[in-house]
Amino acid sequence: MNGLNPAAAAGDRIKLNVGGKLFETTVSTLRSGGPDCLLYALSNRSGHDPVFIDRDPEIFSVLLSLLRSNRLPSTAKRFSNQELIDEALYFGIESQLRSSLAPSRINGIDASLFTTVKPSSDAVVSDFNAVESDGSLWAAHGGQITVYDWNLSHTATSRTHFDFINSVRRIQSDIAAIGSLQGSGLHFYNMANGRRVHSIDWVDPSDVRIYKARVHAISDSIDSVFASYDCYHGENCVLMIDKSTMEISSEIGRMPGNSAKYMVPTKLTCISDLGLLVGSSITSGAFGYSGYIRLWDPRTRDVVWETFEPGSGRSSRFGDSLADVDVDLDELALFKICSKSGDLAMADLRKLTDDPWLYLKEKNSSLRGVGRKDGRSFAIHRYRKQAFVGRDGELEVWSRVEENGVEMIVDEEMYRRNYMDKVEDSERGVIKKIEGGGDRLFVTREDVEGIEVWQSCYNSGIASASSRGCSLW
Amino acid sequence: MPRSEASKNGAHHDSNFSSNVVTIDVGGQLFQTTKQTLSSVGSKSFFSNIISDSNAAVPFIDRDPDLFSLFLSLLRTGSLPSNAKSFDMQDLIFESRFYGIEDLLIASQSNPDQFDAFNLDRSLILPLNGRDSPSAIATTPYGELHVAHGSKITSFDWSLRRKSTILTQFMAVDSLLALSPALAAAGATDFSGLQILDLDKGTVTETLNWENVTRSGSTVQAIGASDEHLFTSFESSRRNSNCIMVYSRRDDLRPVATIGHYEIFGADLDSAIPSTKLQWISSHNLLMASGSHSGPSGVSGNIKFWDIRSGNVVWEVKEKLDCFADATASDVLSSMFKVGVSTGEVFMADLRNLGGVDPWFCLGDGRKVVNGKKEGLGCRVESHGRQVFCSKGGDVQLWSEVLIDSRKTEGDERVFRKNLMGRVKDLGGNRIEKLCFGGNKMFLTRKDEQCVEVWNSVKSY
Repeated sequence: MNGLNPAAAAGDRIKLNVGGKLFETTVSTLRSGGPDCLLYALSNRSGHDPVFIDRDPEIFSVLLSLLRSNRLPSTAKRFSNQELIDEALYFGIESQLRSSLAPSRINGIDASLFTTVKPSSDAVVSDFNAVESDGSLWAAHGGQITVYDWNLSHTATSRTHFDFINSVRRIQSDIAAIGSLQGSGLHFYNMANGRRVHSIDWVDPSDVRIYKARVHAISDSIDSVFASYDCYHGENCVLMIDKSTMEISSEIGRMPGNSAKYMVPTKLTCISDLGLLVGSSITSGAFGYSGYIRLWDPRTRDVVWETFEPGSGRSSRFGDSLADVDVDLDELALFKICSKSGDLAMADLRKLTDDPWLYLKEKNSSLRGVGRKDGRSFAIHRYRKQAFVGRDGELEVWSRVEENGVEMIVDEEMYRRNYMDKVEDSERGVIKKIEGGGDRLFVTREDVEGIEVWQSCYNSGIASASSRGCSLW
Repeated sequence: MPRSEASKNGAHHDSNFSSNVVTIDVGGQLFQTTKQTLSSVGSKSFFSNIISDSNAAVPFIDRDPDLFSLFLSLLRTGSLPSNAKSFDMQDLIFESRFYGIEDLLIASQSNPDQFDAFNLDRSLILPLNGRDSPSAIATTPYGELHVAHGSKITSFDWSLRRKSTILTQFMAVDSLLALSPALAAAGATDFSGLQILDLDKGTVTETLNWENVTRSGSTVQAIGASDEHLFTSFESSRRNSNCIMVYSRRDDLRPVATIGHYEIFGADLDSAIPSTKLQWISSHNLLMASGSHSGPSGVSGNIKFWDIRSGNVVWEVKEKLDCFADATASDVLSSMFKVGVSTGEVFMADLRNLGGVDPWFCLGDGRKVVNGKKEGLGCRVESHGRQVFCSKGGDVQLWSEVLIDSRKTEGDERVFRKNLMGRVKDLGGNRIEKLCFGGNKMFLTRKDEQCVEVWNSVKSY
């Protein structure tokens, strides 16, 4: 049978000689990596002589432990993640390694700053995109785009023709879409070779005033890219671009831009489940915040629902207009943060009315009124059923209380607000953007280099008490 | 392997003088031990099954051989060899679960028998995420720790290496008691009902309430437990009635009795004081319940000893002068202890001859005059083993009985002496708020510090 024995039983023992060190394991352990991996092929070898593999035995013993017990032993700490990944790629068990290296499910009430990812130059990140599907992070800093993979290791950096990028979005595995307020158009860069592959400008043959339109926000669905454009005189719209042909498929929500109600959307989210596009724009000035949320149906290009603050909604909330908005794609809900009270409100996207907002009650008396301060900067992001809110430099989380294992029906008292950070953390700077991906929460601060990475961890972080006091963090 | 070959090998073993010797192949490395060693953890364990189930001459286990060698030492001697220090505790715990001998590992690493009050080192800090300082802590006998901070409860495993956090409905938890490593009873003075929480799932498994006369909510003032019962001191939300509920731990927390039910009428201050500390004294079969009230005329309180079967007070100590700031009872020492709120001194009363008007005997400086000062405010007193621990400010005093000699006659004064715990660098710090014991460790929390301090009996593993 030419040394191959496909009938080897799962419980059969097999000897391996890795770099001179002998290992013995079972066929089923070797096969747990799936039929495509190198170890699976080795498990089919018959005969009593150990199979020789010319690799490092120390790393192999770590990987063998991983296959046996589905968790990385602490000896793995002797190697860098990259070494382990490279070796796992060789043996074809990368997926097992990935799941054991991935952070545990993010729990806002028990998360801490894990690391700060800093690009090597122009390290103040103007925009970034955390990709849920593969856990990677795409950051725009100055005129460059940098990609970090699921392990937060640097993958590629591309220099673009812009000197400052204002928005970035990963739209395909290698393609980034960028926009800048310094130049016109939406541009696509291939991160594999650093080339600009395509660009799309907003032009209107019937209206010569539409030229040099700049991109403010980018979003995408499985088959389309959405970008909001505005011209210097304020006129704006959202272009829907087909991903396969890279051509404009429709123009949505053209607005004159002559008042806050009709400004260009600065945040776009595509809700694929409902076939809706959510756009919002919020401006703040001496008289407080004002802005709108508008929902379009991209197929008919009609406005499905809109709200404008101040102006609509509950009268008791007048003067407490929205400061930031986010869409929860899992729960199909809109979340907004109120500028004056600092309260969080949610609205079910499936039953939007004139006033759909449910204002979540602050029950923690020590935190009550904490958000009531003028001139604050807000950022909100919904991720993994938790709302993460940046309030100037402070990072807090609103999480849902569960009762008897069943999630309670939506009511205003089911959320608890907790600080996620320590006082020292909040002094680093005003939070600009929060986004989650791959069970990590990424936070950027105004004029601060790098992207903070927050994650939850089962490790207790136990520390020696030899140093006095709580200077450990 | 064919059956015949196995029996042939077995026959070979039988003829050998060492028929008890077992050879095992773990991950390619051979180990020899005896059947007695392997079956010492029980006849149903993984190790006993290896010998009985395997047909092979040399049973094979597809696990890491280095870790196995540690466990073999553990099976042989009951303790880990010193080279175990080069391994990570997490690895040992996960591997021990595979072999089903985690209990053995816990017994060797976090055994309450190893607790030595005179050999406690302030060794470790457990940090808590977020900005809330701990409001309550609870431990299990083998050293699992639950810390309530804000609306969250963070649980640490016995090795203190792993943690998990759940969100509760409370704003802050004031009373917390561990019923098992995964179950805890929690209550708050501003929240109605006692909740039994599943700390693994983060859910409420049961809510226990006291139906008071005013039909208002019932807040939890204190939780205590014996092996058989769970005790909860409730006060109605209107603060005009209080009682202690007794639940059966053996019978799904069915309410068994209500004791010390007081309705407040008029100016009877004493009945208006709910119990804020409950402690079961198993040697006397009594429940010690203490509570105090601070008013314009000073602090007054009472300590009651309840017979839970009859529901009667067996003994009551009324505290008018130098009322306790905190009180505790010790089974081993057959005594109860208090810190006086105005003197800040530790007092002892012998539980075997209660009856005098003032049972207290001052262990410290008895000459201190009781004046308006409140030196003992915020002090805690807890007993564990043969010692009494009293926190004062940022320090812990350790009181231990000096056993003079064997001719102990009635009326002889018992001698207690005090030590300040820790080395010079450990002294001071923020005020200690909670003190707890579990496994071979002492846990304490301090005001405004988002961490738990661990004092360990053995050198940190």
